[in-house]
Amino acid sequence: MATSNEIIRVEHVVKEFEGGVKALDDCSLSINRGEVVAIIGPSGSGKSTMLRCLNLLEIPTSGKVIVDGVDITDEKINLDQHRRKMGMVFQHFNLFPHMTVKKNITLAPVRLKLKTQKEADETAMKLLERIGLADKAGSYPAMLSGGQKQRIAIVRALAMEPEVMLFDEPTSALDPEMVGEVLDVMKELAKSGMTMAVVTHEMGFAREVADRVIFMDSGKIVEVNTPNELFDHPQNPRTKLFLSKVL
Amino acid sequence: MWWSNLFKDMSPASFFNFSFLPKYAAFFIQGIEYTLLLAVVSVLLAVLPALLLALMRLSKSRLIRSISGAYIAVFRSTPLLVQLSIIYFGLFGVINIPRYSLFGFVDLSRFIPGVVALALNSSAYVAEIFRAGILAVDAGQMEAARSLGLSKFDGMQLVVLPQAIKNVLPALANEIVTMVKESSICSILGMAELMFGAKAVASSTYITLAPYTLAALIYFCINYPASKAIEAIERRMRRGDKQ
Repeated sequence: MATSNEIIRVEHVVKEFEGGVKALDDCSLSINRGEVVAIIGPSGSGKSTMLRCLNLLEIPTSGKVIVDGVDITDEKINLDQHRRKMGMVFQHFNLFPHMTVKKNITLAPVRLKLKTQKEADETAMKLLERIGLADKAGSYPAMLSGGQKQRIAIVRALAMEPEVMLFDEPTSALDPEMVGEVLDVMKELAKSGMTMAVVTHEMGFAREVADRVIFMDSGKIVEVNTPNELFDHPQNPRTKLFLSKVL
Repeated sequence: MWWSNLFKDMSPASFFNFSFLPKYAAFFIQGIEYTLLLAVVSVLLAVLPALLLALMRLSKSRLIRSISGAYIAVFRSTPLLVQLSIIYFGLFGVINIPRYSLFGFVDLSRFIPGVVALALNSSAYVAEIFRAGILAVDAGQMEAARSLGLSKFDGMQLVVLPQAIKNVLPALANEIVTMVKESSICSILGMAELMFGAKAVASSTYITLAPYTLAALIYFCINYPASKAIEAIERRMRRGDKQ
């Protein structure tokens, strides 16, 4: 049984792509409320696929993903309802280019009747003020820098008041000088107690902010530990090899 | 009138013997109106079925995909004239349309079958335009919409389609230009569009060539500026995207 503290539980998830490529091979993990989990590993190790399986953007070939006690791989449940609980931030931001910043943020809450347009506008402005971009409310995404876009993408996800935030390499597509501003927003979010799963190449961020670090390689979860243990005393030879290359 | 002398000594087979104009101008003016009506109405009518066909073509179900695929294949692989004849004599041989005249010169019992045939034909082409437009929208857009808890329908309607339609607007306008030309085939079934007008003038005046030259000129003067305008709008839209 899921303990009340547990929010996501992944059980024996396998993801096989067409052509027989196994992106995930029998992965299990659990994430507790308020926890920040960093997922690291070489490219092609399946870490993004893992993250995308958490809100079923990628549908597992087999295995279960249990969110808040509900198995969301069950085809009978209303997946859209459960996705609301999980905000997602993408590598390439995926802001809606034909809408203003404010509209990007308010679209889903208003459409799903969680808020009136007026309430959603107020929330959007508050969130934008928090990240110092209130003056961009009326701008279109094309007018913003990468760092600004990603911070707004974070805010857009937060506007749904999710219980978990998923980050898929949120700083990988950014110019180096903009990485900091995005990581700062994420740090603040972690401090505020948000549950977060972060696929990242930023080892410094993983060490500083994560409660636990998951190391993946060739579709398998190889090692899970606290950042200090995993970075300073890796147990598995593959973890050691990877860390020796990136640290 | 002063310019009627211009054509006095021209042969009936001359390219520019427009001496019929004072008497027969109405044939061309009504012809233009009829042609534009045919083209615009049939493409507008084609938009919704085409959207449906495009979405069906992108469906997960193989059956739905192949129904749409078959429709598109049939209409793209047979001549418009054949489709028009089958629909006119077949479909509208059964369905009776009252002989009601619109604006005094658009006989609905001919116009409606013509528009239906052109729209059915056009929807096959427009469906492919839409499909390409939808596929050109980055897959991350739908993923972002879904990750916010929006349904596939909402994601399509609010996020993907507005971007797709913007992408395909020029192609859609070009389809109207194509229809302005293609609709000339309706003259064969007695629809009083531009080509029909030219033919009627040629046979009643024995000026065999110039009515067609004039028709060609008119088609050109409609379509060329139209396609230039479409290009300009397209360029402006691109600029808007970049800023």
